[in-house]
Amino acid sequence: MALRRMFNLILNEAIKIFHQLSTYIMLTLLIGSVIAAGFIFKYNGQTSYANEDWKTQLTQQNKDLEKVLKKQNENDALEKVLSQTPTGGVELKDVIEQDIKTNHYRIDHNLPPTEGRTLWGSVTQTSGLIPLVSLLSIIISAGIVAGEFISGTIKLLLIRPIKRWKVLLSKYMTVLLFAFGGLLILFSTSFLVGGLFYGFSGANQPYLSYINGRVTEVNMVGHIFTTYAYACVSLLMMVTFAFMISTVFRNNAMAVGTSLFLLFTGDVLVSLLSKYSWVKYVLFANTDLTQYLRGAPLVEGMTMKFSLLVLTVYFVFFLATSWIFFSRRDVRE
Amino acid sequence: MDSKPVVEFINVTKKIKQKMIIDDISFDVYAGEVFGFLGPNGAGKTTTIRMLFGLISITAGEVLINGYSIKTEYEKAIAHVGGIIENPEMYQYLTGYQNLAQYARMYPSITHDRIDEVLALVKLSQNAQDKVKTYSLGMRQRLGLAQALLHKPSLIVLDEPTNGLDPAGIHELRDHLRMLAKKETIAILVSSHLLTEMELMCDRIGIIQNGKLLDIQTVNDLLLNQTTAKVLFTVDYRSKAKLCLAKMGYTEVMMTLMKENALELTLDVNQIPDIIAAFVADGIKVFGADRTTKTLEDRFLELTGGDGLA
Repeated sequence: MALRRMFNLILNEAIKIFHQLSTYIMLTLLIGSVIAAGFIFKYNGQTSYANEDWKTQLTQQNKDLEKVLKKQNENDALEKVLSQTPTGGVELKDVIEQDIKTNHYRIDHNLPPTEGRTLWGSVTQTSGLIPLVSLLSIIISAGIVAGEFISGTIKLLLIRPIKRWKVLLSKYMTVLLFAFGGLLILFSTSFLVGGLFYGFSGANQPYLSYINGRVTEVNMVGHIFTTYAYACVSLLMMVTFAFMISTVFRNNAMAVGTSLFLLFTGDVLVSLLSKYSWVKYVLFANTDLTQYLRGAPLVEGMTMKFSLLVLTVYFVFFLATSWIFFSRRDVRE
Repeated sequence: MDSKPVVEFINVTKKIKQKMIIDDISFDVYAGEVFGFLGPNGAGKTTTIRMLFGLISITAGEVLINGYSIKTEYEKAIAHVGGIIENPEMYQYLTGYQNLAQYARMYPSITHDRIDEVLALVKLSQNAQDKVKTYSLGMRQRLGLAQALLHKPSLIVLDEPTNGLDPAGIHELRDHLRMLAKKETIAILVSSHLLTEMELMCDRIGIIQNGKLLDIQTVNDLLLNQTTAKVLFTVDYRSKAKLCLAKMGYTEVMMTLMKENALELTLDVNQIPDIIAAFVADGIKVFGADRTTKTLEDRFLELTGGDGLA
């Protein structure tokens, strides 16, 4: 019963979103960007590995990489003599070693590289458009509460036998569903565009992951999923932030403005402040969890656990603030 | 009217930052009656109505709807209330039908037939599939009424319901509300700053000013017990008529500015024939003797000190 009512509320919100022209403009923009990106990569993207001689290319690449590695080792030795400070995180030579091993694995197992002009290469590249999904979701999130106050429709919405927090929850859930739908559209359009440009035959190519010093074959969809999941951290946080601003100030322009500003300047902000140790408590220092995969955290001593904790604190704060303001404050609009 | 109260305001007070907005208001609205909430703009009508709907918090006191407290049993209390607060703002980009469907989904069981039924009731069946942004103000007002009736409430609260309606629309709304109150024994609470409207629509009228409920009047009693009235005489020569009236002992005669050759005076209604007879005897031509039943307005002016009557 209660679940059905919640379903109805979410349905109501979805109907409102999908009866507005702006939603369709946004979705067209998203699909259009994927197609445009597909074209750009096809004609201007990184050099592809021509079908036959990719093995020779990789062998040549490995030779070059080994040279760089040798030089790097010499430099390192010199550096260690000069300064006693141990260098933290993953070093360049580790990355190079990893590349060499992966290339060998490809040659040995007859697995052409997926980078560049392949189906999965294209999908991976267009996953760089996830911030666009964030942007669209932020716009929806910013309007979903504030819009009702601006148009005055909030009054007729809140005089129903449904407690305010349930109305708020339904709106938040709708925003999350929209974001999820946006990611789904991004992925499926990327897949289609990639397939149309480079053929669907490469669909069952594995991804070569480097785990504990060994090259391992991983399911490609799983890998893309992981990429998306890491990018979602920032999406979720910013969408929730926009939701809070929208609820507290009842002003969607402000919610869109502040959220987008932070979405695009957050990383710059953090790198500017990176010399202070307290930067690790800033939200944007923690939204990129791949820093732990790369083994190069922003501030030394930061761990995955620490970041998850910081993210949770921010997330709970954003939602609790929205909840308190929405359910307590007088509606005088 | 001698039934149980549907809504009870019990010593309701609203303060915002130490400023008294609503000061200790108490009144009941019963099933089958139309209760008018009358006061100048800014007197606190909308604030009181918003407290009833739980849109704003109640500083002190209690509002009970069908016995349930709006503070502590919100969902139960509000379940059988329908209404409009100020303008009925709807989703412009949805059709009339889609708007009602939105609200229908928020109640346990409202069928599509019921939506069609209320649309027919407010005469919007023809426009049900048009977007609300194409509606006139009157149509929006009617759609607002439709959403208020959708879930068959036992209390309907309408804040300034005649805003934007043409005279025919006002007449229709009035008949409709009276019908709902009498036939379906719904309690109706209507607010307005227009006195004449209230007189025609309501059974009882509560007068509010500066957040205080000054008085509650029963409209019927007022009209029945009326012995004195303001009468407007239209004659050929005003000065002659005034002289004639002075002879009869009426000294407080008003020369109204609104009409040429018209005189206004307050008198016992039984004396109207005598005055006309006296005019005729003096050779004054009488073109009209109009009773202006402004008793409620007088009472209103008396209570509010003549302030802010619209």
